[in-house]
This record gives sequence, C-alpha cells and structure tokens, in this order.
Amino acid sequence: MSLLLQIIVNGILLGGLYALMALGLALVWGVLNIVNLAHGAFIMLGAYVSYYLFTLLHVDPFAALPLCMLSLFALGYLLQRNVLNLLVRAPMFNTLLITFGIDVVLTYLAQIVFSADFRVVNPSYAGSNFTLLGATVPLVRALAFAIALGLTVTVWLVLAHTRLGRAVRACAQNLLAARLYGVEPRTVYALTFGLGAALAGAAGNLYGVVSQINPYIGDALTAKSFAISIIGGLDNPLGVVVGGLFLGTLESLTSLYVGSTYSDVASFGVLVLVLILRPKGLLGRTT
Amino acid sequence: MIGRYYWPTLAAVLVVFAALPWIAPPVLIQFGTTTLLLATLAQSWNIIGGYAGYASFGNSVFYGIGGYGTAVAMVQFNLPFGIGLLIGSLLAVVFALLLGLPVLRLRGHYFAIATLALAEAMTGVVSNLDIAGRNIGLVLPLRKDDAFFYELSLGLVVLVTLAVFWISRSRFGFGLIAIREDEDAAGVMGVNTTLYKSTAFALAGLFSAMAGGIHAYWITFIDPASAFDITLNVMMIIMAIFGGAGTILGPLVGAVLLASISEVLATEVSAMASLFFGLVIVVAVIFMPRGLADLTRRFPGLGWRYFRENLRLHRL
Amino acid sequence: MKRLLFFAIAAFALLDHALAQQTITLGASVQETGRLANTGRYYRDGYEFAVQTINERGGVKVGNEHYRLDLKILDNQSDVNLSVRQYTQLLTQDKVNFLLGPFASDFALADSSAAEKYEVPMIQGGGASDQIFSRGYKYIFGTLPVASKYFDSTVQAMSKFDPVPKSVALLYADDAFDVAVAKGAREQLQAGGFRVTQDERYSSNSSDFSSLISQIKAAAPDAVLVAGHETEVLNFIRQAKSLDFNPKLYSFTVGVPTADFRLALGRDANFAYGMTSWLPSPALKDDYFTNAQVFAESYQKRFGYEPDYHAASAVADVEAFVKAIEAAGTLDPKKVRDAIAQVDFESLYGRIQFGAVGQINLPQTVVQVYNDAVVPIYGQKGFLNKPRYPMPAWDKRP
Repeated sequence: MSLLLQIIVNGILLGGLYALMALGLALVWGVLNIVNLAHGAFIMLGAYVSYYLFTLLHVDPFAALPLCMLSLFALGYLLQRNVLNLLVRAPMFNTLLITFGIDVVLTYLAQIVFSADFRVVNPSYAGSNFTLLGATVPLVRALAFAIALGLTVTVWLVLAHTRLGRAVRACAQNLLAARLYGVEPRTVYALTFGLGAALAGAAGNLYGVVSQINPYIGDALTAKSFAISIIGGLDNPLGVVVGGLFLGTLESLTSLYVGSTYSDVASFGVLVLVLILRPKGLLGRTT
Repeated sequence: MIGRYYWPTLAAVLVVFAALPWIAPPVLIQFGTTTLLLATLAQSWNIIGGYAGYASFGNSVFYGIGGYGTAVAMVQFNLPFGIGLLIGSLLAVVFALLLGLPVLRLRGHYFAIATLALAEAMTGVVSNLDIAGRNIGLVLPLRKDDAFFYELSLGLVVLVTLAVFWISRSRFGFGLIAIREDEDAAGVMGVNTTLYKSTAFALAGLFSAMAGGIHAYWITFIDPASAFDITLNVMMIIMAIFGGAGTILGPLVGAVLLASISEVLATEVSAMASLFFGLVIVVAVIFMPRGLADLTRRFPGLGWRYFRENLRLHRL
Repeated sequence: MKRLLFFAIAAFALLDHALAQQTITLGASVQETGRLANTGRYYRDGYEFAVQTINERGGVKVGNEHYRLDLKILDNQSDVNLSVRQYTQLLTQDKVNFLLGPFASDFALADSSAAEKYEVPMIQGGGASDQIFSRGYKYIFGTLPVASKYFDSTVQAMSKFDPVPKSVALLYADDAFDVAVAKGAREQLQAGGFRVTQDERYSSNSSDFSSLISQIKAAAPDAVLVAGHETEVLNFIRQAKSLDFNPKLYSFTVGVPTADFRLALGRDANFAYGMTSWLPSPALKDDYFTNAQVFAESYQKRFGYEPDYHAASAVADVEAFVKAIEAAGTLDPKKVRDAIAQVDFESLYGRIQFGAVGQINLPQTVVQVYNDAVVPIYGQKGFLNKPRYPMPAWDKRP
C-alpha cells in the first residue's frame, strides 16, 4: 500500500512542477489568445540563466529566481512588442507558426552559445528529502510545488484585482472598447507576454535543479504544457494546477500499473479525449 | 498574365522533371525525391488547411500511418510494396474518418492542438507495438533503384495536384472555401459541413499516407520519431503558406523553393539550416502571410507597399 | 642546359602535382548539433585527430604510391533521415572513397544501408546493437563491442563480490542498443542464478524516473543495472538520491567513464559502476599515437576535454581503413572490404579484428567512480582493484 502512496506523492509533486511549467503558457493563451510554441525555449533559457548564476556567481537557485524571471520578462516583452505585435490581428495559426520559428531560432542560438553539453544545477540540498506519512518527499520538488501554487495564486489575484489585470482582461474581451477607455494595448500585451515568459523562466530555474539542462529540452516541455493547459482549462489560472496535478498523477499511476513506456500515450490520449468531450478543460465553464 | 502558354509550360516542366533521373546526377535525384514528397505533403495539407481553413498541425500522423502500414506489411507479412502502400493508405483514411469526426468539431486553436495531440499519442502507441518494432522501428528490404522512387513521387505529386485542381473547380471545393470563410453561414446555406470537412481531412490523409509509404521504402527504415516527426508538420504548413495556401500551384512552388535552400544549407553550411528555416518562417509569416502566389499577383501593382499593407492589416 | 632545366622543372611540377593530387577521402555524417551532439563531437574530433596524425606520419601507402588522407564530415543535426541522405550524398556527389560511421545504433542501422546499397565499406565505431550486424550486410564493420555482451563482465564481477548480491533490477531504454544490452544481461543474470526483481523498459529521453525508482525501492533488490543514455543515467542518480534509494550497487552502460559525469554530479557520482572497452593505458601501443595514454593527453590538450572510448573507437576506425588499404594495395571498394574483414593489429583502442559478421570483440572493463577518478575494478583477468562495495546509504556517505 505504501508503494501506491509513494507513487501518488510522486505524481502530485511532478504535477506541481508541471503546473509551474504550464502557467506561463496558459496565461498568455487564455488571456491574449497567443499560442506560444516557443514556451519550452523560454523554460530552457531560464534554466541556463539559473545555471550560469549558480556556476559562475554561486547564487543559490531559489535566490536566483527573481533574476531568472526578470531576464525572461525582458526577453518576452521585447519579443512581443517588436515581433509578435505585428501579428495580433492575423489569422490564429500565424502566431503558431511564428512562435515555432522563434523556437527554432532560440534553440539554435542556445546550441551555439551554450553548446550541447548537458548541465545540472547541483546545490548541496539537491538530493535532500524528508518523510511524510511513510513516503519519501524530495525537498526541491516540494518547494517547486509550493512556488507553483504561490505564483498561480499571485497571477490570479493580479488579473482579478489590479488595474493592470483589469486592463489585460479588457483587451482580451474587446480590444476596441479597451482602447476607447484609454488602455494602451501594445504595452499591455507586451507586459502580459513578458509575464508569461517570466513564469517560464521560474519553471526553468527549478527544472535545472531537478533534471538536466541542454538546448533541446524545450520541445517536450512545450508539448506537456499544452496538455496541462487544456486539461486544466484556460479560463482560470488555477486550472493549471488542476491540470498539472491530474497529468502528474496520471503519468505516475500509468507507470505503476501499465508500464512506463505508456505515459505519453496516456497524457496525449487524455488530451485528445478532453478536447473532444470537454474542450474548455476540467475547470472550464461548460457554456 | 497566364494566357495560352500556361498549359504548354506546365507540360514542359513536367517532362523535364520526369526525365531527371536520366540527365541529372544521383544526388539531385535524391534531393528531388525528398522535395517531391514534401511537396505532396504541402499540397495535401493545402486541402484541409488551405481550402477548408482547418489548420491541421498533425498531418504527420497520416504520413506515419502510411509509412508504418507499408513497413509492417512488407516486413512482417512479406507483402509486395504496392499492397503495403494500399494498406497504409487505407489505414490512414479510416483513421482520418474515425478520429476526424470528433476532432473536426473543434475550431481554431483547439483543432490545431487536437491534431498535434493525435500525432504525439500515435507516436506513443506505435512505440509500444511489437508488430511495429516498438521504439526501435523496422528495417525494410533494400531496393537499389532511385529512379523508381523518384518517378513514383513525381506521380504522386501530379496526382495530388490534379486532385486540388479538381477541388478548386468543383462544388466540393466551393463548399470548402465557404466553410473557411464562414462556417456557420455555409451551414445555413445548405453546405453539409461535416461531410465536406471529413472528406477533405480524409483526402489530405490519403495523400500524406502515400508519401509516407514511399518514403519508408526508399529510406529502408522507419521508427516512431522519424515517422511522426513534428517538425514535418510545420515544414509542410510553412511550405504551403509560403507558396500560397488555397492556390493550386502555391504549395508546390513553396516546397521546391524552401527545400532547395534548406538542402543547400544542410550540405554546404550544415549547422545553419535550422536557423535559416526559423528565420524564413518568422519573416514569411510577418511580411507575406498569404504566400508567394498572392505576392506575385499584387506586387507588380503595389510594389514595396505590399509588405507594409500586410503589416498594417495585422499588427496591433 | 636550359632544356635540362626546363625538363627538371616540368618533372618536378608534375611530380608535385601528382603528389598533391593523391588523396583518399573518408566521408562521415556525424551529430555535430542536436540532442546527440554531446557524444557526436567525440567522433568528429577523433576522426580529425586520426587523419591529421596519420598524415603527419607519412600518410597511406597504396602499392608504391603515397596518399594523403582527407576527411569530409557533414552535420546530421541528430536526425536519422538527414544522416541517410548525407551518406548518399557523400557517395554519389562528393565521391568519397570510404565511409566512417555516425554515433548511435539507430543511426548506424539506417546509414549502413547506404553503404550496402553502393557497395562501399563503412567502419563505424558508434553503434553496438546486434541488429546492425544481423542482416547479412557485407559492407558494414563496427568497433564497438557487441551490445548484448556489455554487462557480461559486470555480472561476472558481481558473482564474485562479498556478500554476493542476490536480487537484481534491470532497467533499459527502448532503443536498439539498450534493448540488445538488456537481452544479453537478462540471459547472463539467469545463468548466474540472480533473482530479477524488475525487468522494465522505459521511453528513451525520459527525464522523470521517480515512479520507476519508487517501484524498484519497494522491491528492494541488491543491485540495479541500467542500460540507457547519459542524460537518463544522470537523472536516475539524482532522483535516486532525492528519493533515498540505496541499493548495494548500481551499474550503468554509459556516462560513468566520462569527465562530464563526474563534473555534473560531483560527489554524488561516487560508488557508481560503469564499463568501458577502453582505458588510456600505456600498455595499448599504437603505430601512430605511441600509446593510449599519450593519445589521451594530446587529445585533451588539443580539444580541451578528455577522450573516452568513443573517441578511441573513432581513431580505431580510421586506422583500420589505413591498414586495410595498405594490405589490399588498391582503392577498389570491394577489395578493401575484403581486406578489412582480415585485419588484425594492435592499436591504442586494443586489438582490432572483426568477427564473421563484422563486429569487433572487446571485453568490457568494469570501472567505478571514486573521488573524481575512474578506477578499473574487474577485467578479463579478474579483479584489478578492490571494489567499494556495498554502496553506503546517501546520508552515510563520507
């Protein structure tokens, strides 16, 4: 029985990590209707920032979190303001294509600048763990879970209760009306996209401590983030947490009961099912 | 502008292409076969993405099914290539119809992601099937005849282009365009949207599968990663769009142009190929989202303002 | 007098021209970028180093003439399909004389078809899977030892440990090489009387092993054998630590002998077992590089990182071609192919001799990492050093 408990705990913690990864994508998609295929590349870059801060300046990854987020925010803001803004009113799949192009370029540049060698961020507490109800809980993953939750709640609060949040939602609902009310959409869009990138940076920061970094980790993470965003639902930022937990637990249980080579089948199979049966996701409104 | 030299020119081009194996060096035949297969993919995407407006991001799933159908038939059951190709194509069409029905109810982003998810799911499924060689894949029998594969690919491109040509002039085609422009209105006007969409999806699947089968036999090797390659999806879309989605020859031109430049880079400058591809995508999508076809038609009149027009139309 | 001078100059120019023209070109499609670039570079650098050094030492003697070696390397971006097309291009457009292989079994599997199709021999040092050599192809040779025998020396060593591990968990990735390794390991474990608690296949490129580790931990085997890729091995060890999994020993097919591994894991790399078909020992003498130790040192100096068996294998491939060409006395692909099948010489990589199906037969030496050093533990002749066994629990390590 305790194996099942451990597997479930693993799944929940994995889910926390997944939720953190998907948060930025879900925000940008749900609010701006921009599907960012370069999301994984942002995570990868965040991981590298964290790696270099740790290796060259001995900055602890958790202390480096704000720095990662800030640098990725800048990148996202500039990208949106200068490149993606050109396509906001174009047919939807143009943004899919252009973000794919950006993903290819970023991956290539990362390979040139950082080389293909894999890196890890290995602070002294990387392997620490504690026991809870008979299950071993890795410390870093538990912290990642907490951070994911914290960031999600923060994003939700910002969107619901701040002026910026209201401006963002206004743009998403009715661009013309928002403009008439004095909202400057270009800045708002860029800020939101920057925020999405910053969240990706945060995920990347922790990813390097838990797994290993190389220029090619982006694509698999983008695919995962998609699955989570849709399964959880794009209407509500908390959907990401639900989606992440669901997927993490599903994958762990699949590994236990079916076989670990089936986790992709399970995740994407569920994604297809959710799209067909309940496209708004588990937390979405069923109107 | 096209006039009475259109058909003779096309015929001449076709004859030149067909004669290539006897006048060109082997590496050009190789490159030609790859390009023709990509052109087929771009053109079949054109049916569902260009004409019907349903941007599928997972056509590689048909390519893979076609390839695997052929491979399994030839390797596990010792069937001849023709039968294998038939089986692969049939499987793809059945898949398109079965899974197309629920998935085609989705619109926009959701449809694109659903097709992407299908491709990823199939990769996972196939890598667990013993009959398909699991993740190791299958090695097909060797056939040392490049001309054979080249002519076959050429024939396939001609076939799919003829299909698109027929579509563009038929009621079916107009129905697809109506669906693309305004699906609800089309439905109200009496277009059987479900039937039309499914047929378009199945057609796209059919030709993609045939391309996949030819490719697997040619390369003598298939595995899940290469069969259901996600990058292939984007390549076929960008080729179709670059040339002009919703036109007859656009995807072909786009495929030939982009494949040529990409191949030259892959062999001469090697590592730069992917960077080039990424940049082309970014620039093409921003400045010429309606492709070369639209560019060649409107540039003579508008000049450089053409690009500015596109920007103004789409930017925030 | 002037005429004599004229003739002398003409003859000299002709000779110089003739000398300058005589090259043998070796072609290869290697993973210089993409997800396998981390190991692909060993092959690119190994080939270059070998070609350069052989040229410095006089090149290749074909009959009575001297030839220079030339190298044409293309980057396949870790894409198998591109790799196959590039080999075809090397043969048909660039008209290289002979082929050197890529890294990885799935690449070698697909690319060898090109060699067979055009009947030009390929010697590859990057693919070990038995499948590559079981198709009756005549033009493919390999300098990586048979995949199914990878764990042989480890299992043998394990049966001599004190106390003998009784139960073993076997984990393997689902690609050609690792499946072949697992097949052989399974047979060896059964023959050795070990109880196999888990025999699990996992998806290549997995980054999360938590479930698998938890399941293995619950079964509590004494030993764990993992056949996978370097990044997976890395993830496995880190996650084993964070899940507090403490087997008595764990052994991995790849990664352990490399410097990257020790750099990435630091002290967490200690006690891990691995294997290598090559160690930079001065006992491995070589016609071009003096011996393996000298080779390792000059390689490190030139490229900035330590070589491992991948690089040595790459060098062996080039040397094998040279020996075969010299023995055949011609550049005819069919005759050289026959000569390759007959070679038998000592090199910095060990004894180069290809078996009936074209694969080399080299034993693996069991190694263990401790304090940033790779310690050879068990070889053909038995124990070389005392193994640090059993592995202390994570929280009890020095």
